[in-house]
Order: sequence, then structure tokens, then C-alpha cells
Amino acid sequence: MEKEMIAMLLAGGQGSRLYALTEKLAKPAVPFGGKYRIIDFPLSNCVNSGIDTVGILTQYQPLVLNEYIGNGQPWDLDRLYGGVHVLPPYQKASGSDWYKGTANAICQNISFIERYNPKYVIILSGDQICKQDYSEFLKFHKEKNAEFSVAVMEVPWEEASRFGLMVADENDKITEFQEKPKEPKSNLASMGIYIFNWDILRKYLLEDDEDPNSENDFGNNIIPNLLRDGRQMYAYHFNGYWKDVGTISSLWEANMEVLDPEHSGIDLFDENWKIYSRNSGMAGHHISSCATVENSMITDGCKIAGSVKHSVLFGGVKVEEGAVVEDAVIMGHTTIRSGAVVKHCIVAENVLIDNDAVVGAMLEGNEKGVATVASGVVIGRGAKVGPNAMVRKNVKEGEEEW
Amino acid sequence: MVSSNVDALGIIFPNSYDSMVPELVSERLMASIPFASRYRMIDFPLSGMVNSGIDNVSVIVRKNYHSLMDHLGSGREWDLTRKNGGLNIVPPFAQKAVKVYHGRVEALASILAFLRYQKEKYVVMSDANIAAVYDFEDMIRHHIDTGADVTMVYLKRELSAPVLTSNVEQGDFYYTLQLEEDGRVSDIRINPKDKGVQNISMNIYIIERELLIDQIETAYVQGNIFYERDVLFPQIDKLNIQGYEYTGYAAMISSIKAYFDENMRLLDEANADALFSGSPIYTKIRDDTPTRYTADAKVKNVMAADGCLVDGVVENCVLFRGVKIGKGAVVRNSVLMQDTVVEPGARVEYMITDKNVTITAGKEVKGTDTFPVFVAKGKTV
Repeated sequence: MEKEMIAMLLAGGQGSRLYALTEKLAKPAVPFGGKYRIIDFPLSNCVNSGIDTVGILTQYQPLVLNEYIGNGQPWDLDRLYGGVHVLPPYQKASGSDWYKGTANAICQNISFIERYNPKYVIILSGDQICKQDYSEFLKFHKEKNAEFSVAVMEVPWEEASRFGLMVADENDKITEFQEKPKEPKSNLASMGIYIFNWDILRKYLLEDDEDPNSENDFGNNIIPNLLRDGRQMYAYHFNGYWKDVGTISSLWEANMEVLDPEHSGIDLFDENWKIYSRNSGMAGHHISSCATVENSMITDGCKIAGSVKHSVLFGGVKVEEGAVVEDAVIMGHTTIRSGAVVKHCIVAENVLIDNDAVVGAMLEGNEKGVATVASGVVIGRGAKVGPNAMVRKNVKEGEEEW
Repeated sequence: MVSSNVDALGIIFPNSYDSMVPELVSERLMASIPFASRYRMIDFPLSGMVNSGIDNVSVIVRKNYHSLMDHLGSGREWDLTRKNGGLNIVPPFAQKAVKVYHGRVEALASILAFLRYQKEKYVVMSDANIAAVYDFEDMIRHHIDTGADVTMVYLKRELSAPVLTSNVEQGDFYYTLQLEEDGRVSDIRINPKDKGVQNISMNIYIIERELLIDQIETAYVQGNIFYERDVLFPQIDKLNIQGYEYTGYAAMISSIKAYFDENMRLLDEANADALFSGSPIYTKIRDDTPTRYTADAKVKNVMAADGCLVDGVVENCVLFRGVKIGKGAVVRNSVLMQDTVVEPGARVEYMITDKNVTITAGKEVKGTDTFPVFVAKGKTV
């Protein structure tokens, strides 16, 4: 039996620009939106789009991710034939190698794809927050009789030079590809989501593998090679919410946008396109009589007795009476003691912010920066963490870190 | 079983005491009554069994069990989707000769064949009308240590008014125990009216499987119905029946008022901690989003599950999954079950709304402290 299309999800990236948050886990496993991890988005998109076979390519710090994916049941991806498979690099008769680039990661798993003998393969990236119907994308790919399609977003011209850009004609046929050009000829940014005809992808992967000078990367090698050979390449316009949460500030921003689904475009509350996640199994949250909760998202296991405004709290977070939390992302099982003030920051899991400590602050003028506290850290009594700080180790009582 | 802690199988009677909460069981049974914002009553004994290492559980249903089947599914959320054992829902046979069971004896008789070829040494039986922290492992250890033939679990408290007036015709008896100093049960009283603190039976029994099969075979051919009245009580001198006192938190659903009070009691954090700080309680997953409080939300003393949207004022309430409180709505001292919608501007006080109830915009509905008003499933006010 063959599958029409299977998905290959690139989840090996370290996400080094998330610094303290990705020291112990891969970027796709970073918690998001109160009860999700980033990878829940592409996985849920797959299931909601009717794709039931997903290969997840892991390499960097895969433990948390492996345990989280498990047998794929939370995403309905525990299937007799297909389902979700975690694909780390493995040893072959001819030797073994780490995944050298995005294309190499797929290339090393050609035999996995061949088991399903698909007509099409969709390449996804595990570090984006986006709700997208991949079946619409496939429809476009088929209508255009394309051999390769890439999902693109229109970005403001002044920002265009930060992206990989697709130059396309009026029929959406791609004529040129510019990687972070100084003088952009287009404002269509690649989202890093591709649909290939499997025979074409296979041919170019094997060809690329033979090239000793190649970086084995889709953007730098495969796509230019396809262009060189004049393949049928099309750009699929996507107009929904899309955010690469590769930096601390974009991750914080995306969490804040979840709080404002009416304006931001990211609506997690849409019953027709649910995002699935592994459940925490904790009891309902409790908001006590002395608490203030406004414009926030709160989930199972939280206990709120302090003031929480414009914040996203993950499972099991405790905010004691007299503590203040504003514009903050507080990940699972973190405790914020009485008198502490926590603002404009991302606090990772299992952190203790002790009495009267101050973490982050409201920014003034053109100041940028989101204070970040790594998982398991203790911020001592009365300690101060500045608005741009990246805290990886305990901050002792009364000390300051900027 | 090498990796299991105990050598026991579990049996749950989900319809026990249905007759005490007629409003809540019109379209369900005791075991599937929603409780504590995201659970159903059966989640407590069932999770307790799983956490005690019991992975072979039979649920003997009598009637109105659609909602329970839907809730339990294949038992995956309780880790009971097993090749050996696992979750076993036993509906009544649709045969003329087999009547829907009344008492525990008839219920157990219907699964005698099943019981005969199980391997576990012990059987743990429980009802589903009490949310508690069940440590069946400890009860079984106590059963073995005391050399008991049968262990009955009880708790000490006064009989509540609704219990005293329980509906005997439905067979929903309640029992109190008299104990000797060594913990042996010397008397079982049926529907007593005694004042003061009593040893109230929680209807949890631990017994060797072979002995239970003997008892039920004999009782069934004699036409007996009730396990306590017809099997245990007549043999109270012959059998070593031991009492096991449960001292933890217990929420007993004995009337609609008790249902309201027991939900409200969990707003006190000490009580919620007592019920939930032990092993996890598993329940059906709904994949709701976290609960969203808007800039206009004002919330005080609320227990809420995921999937709610709060845009109004909520005080002293228990909100189940997916409840929506509209802008300007004011909800106080109420229990709102799954997917209740309180439209903008409505005022709600001392209410219990069942699943999918809608309180339309601007409406004012009020019960009182002693008499909370109940709105049935799916109704629009």
C-alpha cells in the first residue's frame, strides 16, 4: 500500500538563539502557549490535514522530545501503518554520520520514505508557530503540476533581506531564489515548508549527496540545483499567522499574541483546527479570593493568589499572595513567592523565584530585551534580574544579575 | 505479575446510589457524574486502582451507561488498554431470562464465569459515589496482615440527612459497622437512624477471589440479592470480617445539595490539596486550550478546568471544561458543568448547571444557599 503524501519534520536544530531555554532540550520541544510545545503545531497540522505518517528527524538533545512524542497517541498518530516515527541518525553498513544539513537528514532516511512509497513528500520545520492546512498546499502543488512547491509569506520590503526570497512570475512559477540578499527582488519569504514529488526529491538528494562541496542544505543546495535544471517550481502563498520563534523576543511575542486572538491572527481556541498536546494530568487550576487575574491564560495545576496580568502560565505554576506577574511567560511548575515582581520575561520550568525578588522590568523608550531564566534555577530572596539578563545559574539572595 | 504491586483484580459498581441524585443521573449514572472541574466520579476509584497496581478492572453497569462508556472508552487514559486484564465494561445481557441486576450478588453472578478464569488471588470491589484518595494497596496489605476473610472499608462521620432518608425501595441501602477492639466487624447495620459519629461503610470490599465465587454461587441459587444483607451479615460470626478505617479526604455524593457542597468545599485549597496531592487522578482527555481570562474578567475564589473563556465576573464557583462566561455576566456561588454558556449580562447565583446549558443574555437566575437551583443537561434558560 502506498501513501499519497508523508511528512518529514526537521527537528534536529539546536535553536542556539534561544540560549538558556534550549540548553537541555531541542527547539521543537520548547514549551509554548500554556500547554503546548512548538512541535505540537506541525504535528497537529499534519493530522488535521489528513497526513498520518510523519518522520521526525532529531539530533540535538532528543531525550525530552522522544519522551514527549512517545507513540504519537496524543496527536492520533499511533497507526498500524504509518504514524509518527522519531528518526535519529543511525549506523549503516557503510558507516555512520550525524545529519550534516537539512537535505542530508532526509537523504539518510530515504529508506524510511520508500517504505511508504509516497507520491509526494512535505518537508516541515519544527520551530514555527503556524496553523496551516497542508492539504490546501498539496492541492495547489497538483493544480500547478509542480515538481517542487514552497510555501511563502509576503513580508515587508524593508525586512525582506533577512529571509530566503522566492522571485516568482504572475503564475507563481519561481524564477529565482535569493538567500538573504542585500537587494531583494521579491518580498516572498520562504517558510521552509516544501512539497516535493518524491521521485524528484530522491534524485536531487542522491545527486547532492555525491557532491563533496555541498552543504547538504535545502536552501543553499537543493533549491538552486532545481532552478539550474529548470524544474517546475511554484510558490504557494500563505496568508495566515506564521512565526519563526527562533529568538527569545519572538518566542515571547508569539506567546503574548496568543492572548489576543481577535487581533493577532493566532487563534488556539478554534474548535475546527485543534492543536493537540500531551496532557499534564493535573487537577483544575485555582484562583483564590485575594488574586487578580486579567488578560491571561491559566491551565491545570496552577494556584494563583497574587496578581497576574497579560501573562501565559503553564501547568502547575504557583503565584503566591502579594506576588506580581505581568507580561510574562511562566513555564510549568515554577513557583513565584510572595512579594516577588516578575515582568516582561520568560521563566522556564521548575524555577523558584523567592520572596521579594525582581525579575525583568517594563522596558522604556526603544529598549529591547526579554529577561530569561533557565529551567531549575533559584532566584534568591530579594535578588534582582535585569530586563536583558539571561540567567543560567542560581542567583543568590540579594545579588543582582543584568 | 512481576511489575505489579498487588495480586488483585478490581470491580466497580457504577450505578450504586443512583437513586439519591435523580436530577444528576437522568441521562447518566453515579460513576459518570462530573466532579471537581475536570473529573467524573469513577475517576477516583479507578485511578486509585491503577495507582495501586491493579490493572484488571471490571465495571458492572446496570443502566444509563452511555455517558460512562463514552468517558472510559478503551481505558487508555487510565493505562488500562491491556492485552491481559485492562478495562472490562460489563453491560447486562439483553435476554428475557436475565433481568437487570438489583444488588451486588446479582451483579457479581453475571460475571461469575469471568471471575472463575482470572488469575488474581484477591478481588477489590468499590462503588463510585465517593471521591477520595484510594490506596487499595494499603487496604490489601491490611487484609493480608489481619488474616481477614473479608475487609470492609469505613469512615467515621455523622450520617447526613439525605443518607437517613435514602430510597430503600431502589435497594440503595447504606451500612454502618460495629467493631470490636481488634478491628473485627461484629455487626452490620442496614439503614440505621443512629445519631452521632458512625462507622459508615464505603462499600469497599477485599476478599479472596475463590471465596467470593463460593459466596456468590451459593447466594445466587438461594435467590439472594444484597451482598451485605444476605451474604456477609448472616455469616458475621463465621467469617473474619475486618474493618479498615479510611481517614483521608472524602467527598460523598448523597444528594444534589451534597453534590453542590462537595464541589464548593474544594474551593478551600487545603481540601483540594487533600484530594489531589497524592497519586494522579486520570480522566478523559478533551484537548482543550488553557483557560483564557480577558482584560474584563474579575475572578475570586474559583476552581476552573481548561477550555474556559471568562469575560465577566466569577466568584466562588467551580467551572468545568469549556465553560464560557460572557462580558458583563456575573456568576456567584455556582457549579457550572462542561460547556455551560452564560451569555453577556446574565446574572447567576447558587446554581448547578448540567452540561451544555445556556443562560441567555441578560437573564437573572438565582437559587439559595440551602437550595441551589439545578438546570438539566442541554437546557436553555
